[in-house]
Amino acid sequence: MDKQWADMSWEERREERFKKWLNPTGVKFNSLEAARKYKERATRMIKAIKIEIPDRVPVHIPAGSIVAYNAGLTLEEVLYDYSKIKPAWIKFLRDYDIDSADNPGLFSGRVYEILDYKVMKWPGHGLPSSQSMHQFVEKQYMKADEYDMMIKDPFDFGLRRFLPRTWGVFEPFADLPSFSSSQGLPERLMAMCQDPRFQKFMKAIQEASDENVKSQEVIAECSKIAMEEGFPPLAGGIALAPFDTVADMLRGTQGSVMDMYRQPEKLLESLEGITEESLESTVNMANFSLSPIVFIPMHKGDDSFMSVKQFEKFYWPTYRKLLLGLINEGLVPMPVIDGSYNTRLEIIKDLPRTGVVWTFEQTDMAKAKKILGGHTCIAGNVLAAQLYTHTPQAIKEYCRKLIEVCAPGGGYILSLGSGIDKCDPANLQAIVEAAKEYGVYK
Amino acid sequence: MEKEWADLNWEEKREKRFQRWLSPDVKFISPEAEKLYKERVTRFTKAIKLEEPDRVPVMLPTGNSPAYWGGGNLRTLMYDYPKTREIWIKYMEAFGDMDVYDAPAFVPSGKISEVIRSRMMKLPGLGLPDDAPMYQFVEGEYMKADEYDLMMMDPTDYNLRVMLPRSSPFFEPFQRLLPFRSLMDSSWVSILANPEIHNMFQVMMGLTEEHNKMIAANMELNGYIQTHGYPTLLGGGPLLGAPFDNFGDALRGTHGIFLDMYRQPEKVHEAMDWYVKLTVEGTIKNFPMTANPICLMPLHKGDDTFMSDKQFAEFYWPPLRAILVALVNEGLVPMPFAEGRYNRRLKEIADTPRSGVMWWFDQTDMKEAKRVLGDVCCIMGNVPTSTIATGTPDQIRDNCRRLIEDCAPGGGYILGGGASVDNGKFENFKAMMDAAKEYGVYKK
Repeated sequence: MDKQWADMSWEERREERFKKWLNPTGVKFNSLEAARKYKERATRMIKAIKIEIPDRVPVHIPAGSIVAYNAGLTLEEVLYDYSKIKPAWIKFLRDYDIDSADNPGLFSGRVYEILDYKVMKWPGHGLPSSQSMHQFVEKQYMKADEYDMMIKDPFDFGLRRFLPRTWGVFEPFADLPSFSSSQGLPERLMAMCQDPRFQKFMKAIQEASDENVKSQEVIAECSKIAMEEGFPPLAGGIALAPFDTVADMLRGTQGSVMDMYRQPEKLLESLEGITEESLESTVNMANFSLSPIVFIPMHKGDDSFMSVKQFEKFYWPTYRKLLLGLINEGLVPMPVIDGSYNTRLEIIKDLPRTGVVWTFEQTDMAKAKKILGGHTCIAGNVLAAQLYTHTPQAIKEYCRKLIEVCAPGGGYILSLGSGIDKCDPANLQAIVEAAKEYGVYK
Repeated sequence: MEKEWADLNWEEKREKRFQRWLSPDVKFISPEAEKLYKERVTRFTKAIKLEEPDRVPVMLPTGNSPAYWGGGNLRTLMYDYPKTREIWIKYMEAFGDMDVYDAPAFVPSGKISEVIRSRMMKLPGLGLPDDAPMYQFVEGEYMKADEYDLMMMDPTDYNLRVMLPRSSPFFEPFQRLLPFRSLMDSSWVSILANPEIHNMFQVMMGLTEEHNKMIAANMELNGYIQTHGYPTLLGGGPLLGAPFDNFGDALRGTHGIFLDMYRQPEKVHEAMDWYVKLTVEGTIKNFPMTANPICLMPLHKGDDTFMSDKQFAEFYWPPLRAILVALVNEGLVPMPFAEGRYNRRLKEIADTPRSGVMWWFDQTDMKEAKRVLGDVCCIMGNVPTSTIATGTPDQIRDNCRRLIEDCAPGGGYILGGGASVDNGKFENFKAMMDAAKEYGVYKK
């Protein structure tokens, strides 16, 4: 009989998830060729993760705004006219022979507009139409004295403080009494329904949802197309480092830095709670996905954002806990480190061998390979700046060097260090070519 | 210059609240009505402060009795607000002198209850016979033994996603909601727009009119009563109970909480401490100025027969005391209602600020209560419910006389019933009132 999940080691659990990823059920591949490629690509990725030797270095280019640009469209066009997304996506898939692809990763401008989303600007909404990237609006969505509320009654904080500040339609919730006591709850809900603003809210939700369905249908179709074309999906889940949850979404950079000095205990206490909650919801999300990879964009722990001492005290312990929790469930965290981590490589090595995949942006890749090589798979680091300004030849040459430094012994994925919004398509092509030309293991 | 609220001591805060009770924002129908109103409130505030009023005040346990006297029943109160008003006023006029008189309290709206069916409560026509005189609480383990942590970690989440769906099938769609983290992206959009959830809110919006109608009718009636010179006593302060009962009644049930006392005593303590903090911070602190400062607190599982003295001392009393003291400190007057008997608890419960609390006793030995608590707090009770429902006026008079003899000396006593009576005899309530006037006058 098969071993029960609870009795399995993390490697056994991961093997189960790899099997599922490698042999997706219910996918009708477009051709035998697509089916073969899917297996090849997934195998390449899995071997790189496990620091075994694949046929060649796998190559990854994240989707996003570039999908629009690659098809001659503006970001604004695809955010508002979903019918343009699918053809652009198909073109992207056929243009680049990459080893994984999820979907275009676009949101709906209309949905966010109906709900009055305040955390983001995008072309057509706060940014000029010519813009090819959206903009995150960082603010103190949580006040300095609200840690206790967030820690002791997170849902209450979410409902009555965070949502009204980040989504305009939720503003009426700011005036509600708390739901933290179970006494008289139906009456309090009824009182809430009396507010005419609440009725407006329900209308907006309905409208946004109808719009959301339309946009999600397109995105879901794109995901399906990618698999049928033979691309294994990559992001089975998404998470944030607990410190980044606070520093990005709640307190902002300024707020969180102040808190490291003024109320370090509260900050640390909140990180513990966020870690637990985050672990649980990420595992739940990933359980519904085909891919065991958990994508984790990382921000405020970078070399220049905080000292090593602060990193060791505030950023790393709860983040490590989250990573270990994910690994233990057989998932593969794939953090993408914005900025550089040259001073933190030894610290982040303190994880099970082959447990994660680190994607680096500006970190010294030779140093990363030296410290993490043979222990953890690394990925990176063609920079957006290079893609904007260099020639295809220069890019290809840079990739050759990357491969020379990072590929030996396995455990390397050739990839960008970040997302890319627009560049000469030939530059992306150069990356793929480099992997095929220089990345073959003998 | 006037002192800020925060700088007042509890007696000063209470005095402010008493003043508000004494001088409500209503237009009395006559100077006579206003004079009577003030006399009546003063009678209570003096008794609470352990001073001697002009005579022993009376809180008649009329409960829902006027409904039956007027040819209606509990269902009338649930459904027919104009009829309720008519009966209530007729009863007031027929009765004449009373020290307090409240519009129906704690009666749920029939129409709303039909739609939001509660698994925790049976009502006449909704699980009980149409003519049932009382609603029925349906105890169960609505919260599981291993859910204390879940509740404490994220109470709003627990209430909305777990407790509400268990307490009523109407709220089952709330099971679809996601935890806090999901509020950080837009996944809640499709969830809130889920047809079942959407429909649920639509139905609730449809019920708000009925909800408002009932509340408005109740407020109007209480206002009417006040303008005629009768103070109200219920609904002024927050409706609270003992922390142990909070978990023992509606969440874990008697069976569950008693197992917990043996199997996970630390968890029970932790949860009660947590609840005390939540209640003090969230409900009691900065409680607004309301019509009166009295906080009725029905108590259940701490009675002499439900638990041992040791259990009472360990589990029941300390968190209850914390709530009482917090209420006192806010200038409110907690009125714990000890259902059953508290003969063995008297010494323990004497440990509260002098004159801060008023205890309402059901079957406790009043002579003993006076002996132990006489110098500490005002006591109220305990004409037996059974005698009011079935006895004669003479029996009532006799009973009241003895109670007054035992408890009135020195002040600090309110004549009252052992509990509210659903369907008590008019003449027996009359006899109670008469007895207070006949035997309860303090000589100057």
